[in-house]
Amino acid sequence: MRITRRTMVAAAAASPIALAACGGESDDDGPVTLRVTVWSANEDHLALLNGIAEAYLADHPEVEAIEFDPLPFEGYTSTLTTQIAGDNAPDLAWILENSAPDFVTTGALVPLGDKLSSTDGYDVDDLVPAATELWRHDDELYAYPFSTSPFAMFVNNDLLAEAGQPTAAELAASGEWTWERAVEAGAAVRAQTGADGIVIRDFDYSGWDNLSTLWTGWGARPWSEDGTECGFAEPEMVEAMDFMHRSVFEHEAMPGPGTTADFFAGEAAMTVTQISRAGLLEDAAFAWDLVPLPAGPAGEYSVIGQAGIGVLAVAPHPEQAADFLAFMTGPENSQKLAQYFPPPRQSQLTAEVLGQANPLLSPEQLQTVVIDRIDEGVVKPSHTGQAQIDQAVRAALDPLWTADADVEGVLTEVCAAIDPFLAR
Amino acid sequence: MSRADAPTAETGRRTRRPGGGPRPRKGWTARRRDLLAGYLFVAPQLLGSVLFVLVPLALVFWYSFHEWNVLVGSFEFTGTANYERLAADPALPGVLAATATFSAGLVALNLSLALALAVLLNQKLRGTVVFRTLFFSPVAVTLVAWTIVWRFLLQDDGGVNGLLSAIGTDGPNWLRGETTAMIAVIVVQVLKNVGLNMVLFLAALQGVPHELYEASMLDGAGRWTRFRRITVPMISPTILLTSIITVVGSLQVFAQIDVLTGGGPGTSTTVLVYYLYQNAFQFHDFGYGATLSVLLFAIVLVLTVVQWQMRRKWVVHED
Amino acid sequence: MKTERSGRAKLVLYGLLCLLAVPFVFPTWWMVTSSLKPANEIFAFPPSLWPGDPSLDAYGRVFDFAPFAQQYFNSMYIAAVVTVGTLAVSSLAGYAFARIRFPGHNALFLVILVGLLIPSEVTIVPLFQMFNSWGMIDTHWPLLLVPIFGAPSVLATLIMRQFFIALPVEIEEAGRMDGLGRFALYARIALPLSRPALGAVAIFSFLHSWNLYLEPVVFLSTPEKFTLPQALTQFVDAYGGPMWDVQLSAATMSALPVVIVFVIAQRQFVEGLAHTGIKG
Repeated sequence: MRITRRTMVAAAAASPIALAACGGESDDDGPVTLRVTVWSANEDHLALLNGIAEAYLADHPEVEAIEFDPLPFEGYTSTLTTQIAGDNAPDLAWILENSAPDFVTTGALVPLGDKLSSTDGYDVDDLVPAATELWRHDDELYAYPFSTSPFAMFVNNDLLAEAGQPTAAELAASGEWTWERAVEAGAAVRAQTGADGIVIRDFDYSGWDNLSTLWTGWGARPWSEDGTECGFAEPEMVEAMDFMHRSVFEHEAMPGPGTTADFFAGEAAMTVTQISRAGLLEDAAFAWDLVPLPAGPAGEYSVIGQAGIGVLAVAPHPEQAADFLAFMTGPENSQKLAQYFPPPRQSQLTAEVLGQANPLLSPEQLQTVVIDRIDEGVVKPSHTGQAQIDQAVRAALDPLWTADADVEGVLTEVCAAIDPFLAR
Repeated sequence: MSRADAPTAETGRRTRRPGGGPRPRKGWTARRRDLLAGYLFVAPQLLGSVLFVLVPLALVFWYSFHEWNVLVGSFEFTGTANYERLAADPALPGVLAATATFSAGLVALNLSLALALAVLLNQKLRGTVVFRTLFFSPVAVTLVAWTIVWRFLLQDDGGVNGLLSAIGTDGPNWLRGETTAMIAVIVVQVLKNVGLNMVLFLAALQGVPHELYEASMLDGAGRWTRFRRITVPMISPTILLTSIITVVGSLQVFAQIDVLTGGGPGTSTTVLVYYLYQNAFQFHDFGYGATLSVLLFAIVLVLTVVQWQMRRKWVVHED
Repeated sequence: MKTERSGRAKLVLYGLLCLLAVPFVFPTWWMVTSSLKPANEIFAFPPSLWPGDPSLDAYGRVFDFAPFAQQYFNSMYIAAVVTVGTLAVSSLAGYAFARIRFPGHNALFLVILVGLLIPSEVTIVPLFQMFNSWGMIDTHWPLLLVPIFGAPSVLATLIMRQFFIALPVEIEEAGRMDGLGRFALYARIALPLSRPALGAVAIFSFLHSWNLYLEPVVFLSTPEKFTLPQALTQFVDAYGGPMWDVQLSAATMSALPVVIVFVIAQRQFVEGLAHTGIKG
């Protein structure tokens, strides 16, 4: 068994069993096996990753094998944590954006800056600053955001036409593509076709961080830049949430709580989600379009969702792992990964590269929705202790989702619930 | 396991040969061998309990005196700090209340439904085998699948409200209201497992000697009186066993709540085991998670001891 | 209460039973029929009771996406080994606690009963550390050893003990007279008589192992070693969204054999249980 750092030394001292078991094999000699935890069990993803790993193994005799372990997406971080706690940490791990601060700011990950800048041809400067911001701490990069995907609006043109509404592209052309107008169109679809209007995908009245795709248009944010002040009770947020509330309960432009409407099955006129979902439209039986998020009162904006990969500080083979990470995310392999995951590299943010990954999207769509927006993108909210805050906000927001809710009152309660965590 | 019984078997054979007859077995050596057999018989289970139950439990106790954040990599002895935090935890009263409601509701519904079904199916009636199978079938469905299916059925526009509107009533938005969500979690859990208790009750009912009923019928006792005076006392050991299992089980329900409500709305269905899971596995706070584990263990222990003590009062024939 | 009923009373009874059966059967019905529907029909409102165009397509895809046959075998053999192991361990322990008055038997029984009181969430982290230190992570050992020897088999021991307590001691007297030792008494006399209780224990332990979710998720990481409940969560599209039709097909396949076995075995099971110590 390997003796890892800090936690496990302490745990070993604490636990007689662990203590008795320590001091077996040594990791210093012989080729090592690297283990990477991922949350995708998708065959194509794994084939791509294994292909990259094979290419690496061919030139690196010191690494014997690289295993990609798919853990269920539900409870991914929990399972990962259990493995770490049980002294079975992987070498590398995919990290969800909402747990990024927990990993990045706590010393759970190995700093990557030196390794990447010393790797031939890596070109660190090519990484888009807006994309790496979440994964930095004290000017040091701790994880590589291998997937940087803007949120956009998918539109079902057939449903809009059926409700006598102009398409989103037409609205955009005439400068009318705003939330106000989108909700109006959504309400019309609901009233005239029975299908749903707008679905903020994955929100489902619990994944509240997805609402940042809406409130950012009002200039609202859940907490201040430095993470200490609650932003839920600020006027911009109250206005944005009031708009959301009216859209659901007054205009019925968005499906209410406990209702499922799948845009990709043709059950809703519009949906806010990441562009990578375009693949689901391969067999779509309706005419669709992809447009940027509508403008809010604060103007045009964009929100990006991310996933990172990092080397754990308690990894059995941190050095080899960091070396593989540098190989895997270099320009050449980054272009391969771009098949499924929009890359954070300026040079690869072209309609051509992204087009290979998303053959269903036109170069114009990619240009307006992805490339033009990634620089200024606001990353979905995250904070140290995110899981706790996440839970507290969800619980405190629940009373908002009834027709007669007092929006401002509920939001004040949200702040009361999370203030203790923000103060930490 | 085979290692444990082999010497015993040998012992058995050896005593036979030199002794030749039954007499010597009553002697001191035979008795000692008998005792040895006792220890060897329980050895596998005992060692397993020590290794897989007591040692981990002791470790959990030990962790509960530490601040252990897995991600940060901290593991420090903090004395009773976690217990002080437990006493002052503002969320705990709500969690305990939800736990009490959930467990009480689940146990009451589960036991009464199981008993009712068992009594109904204990009639001389064609087709009871079919119904028995139907009521038992959810037990065979994988828990995860069962709960996911119910989550869909309980949606505002789901199957349950579809059925209700077919008979002319409007159902509530089950998983979004505090009371209805609690009811939903309880009912879904009961439906999944009540078949097991039903079968146990059914078995017990079939063991009640028929003559007892005949005698009481001659006395002119009614159906309900017979149920109360004969059936319940006769199957009371089964009631005790199933109630212990069900009470303990009710405090361990986790996956179902996770899938159905995620502890919400608000924190209305956040029961203790779910709160424990959140703290340890979602908030990475293993130290406090361990402290909650100790609390959970203490609660289960007290409840079980109380039930076991109560058996003298109302369980009719124990050893 | 085995009384003959009048025709009308019977009708009422059947009506009541049918009504009660709805919430038990409907979810399974929905699961099975939905697995025959194309994905976009699954969430139609109101839910349809029968697919417009039933297709076994999704069943084939189950095997494309995962080593499902292997996973099925894993679940089967793990549950089988756990069942046999639990029967051996719990019948021995149950017999000893019921029959042999060795010093400390009460105290030891209480020690074992502790296992009944512990949710697996409580001990999963220390158990993980232990199995990791023995090099047993990503093997099936934890899923075999813990249920057979640990907390889950305690209930089995309790059931067996209750059974043996209710079994008249006199039955063993003849054997005792013949000079049989303890193991022979257990193996040749008590055990053959305990088939009903063993049946109950077998069903409990099989189902428990079959349904385990948290443990496999924590202990296993190679898809070829997964068990069914864990495998069910792995049928997702490229973006982590569940593929409902494939999931439901896999779920149906995971449930059907157990239901069928119960249909076949339930008469012996229920009537057998009637003669055990957990009866009234």
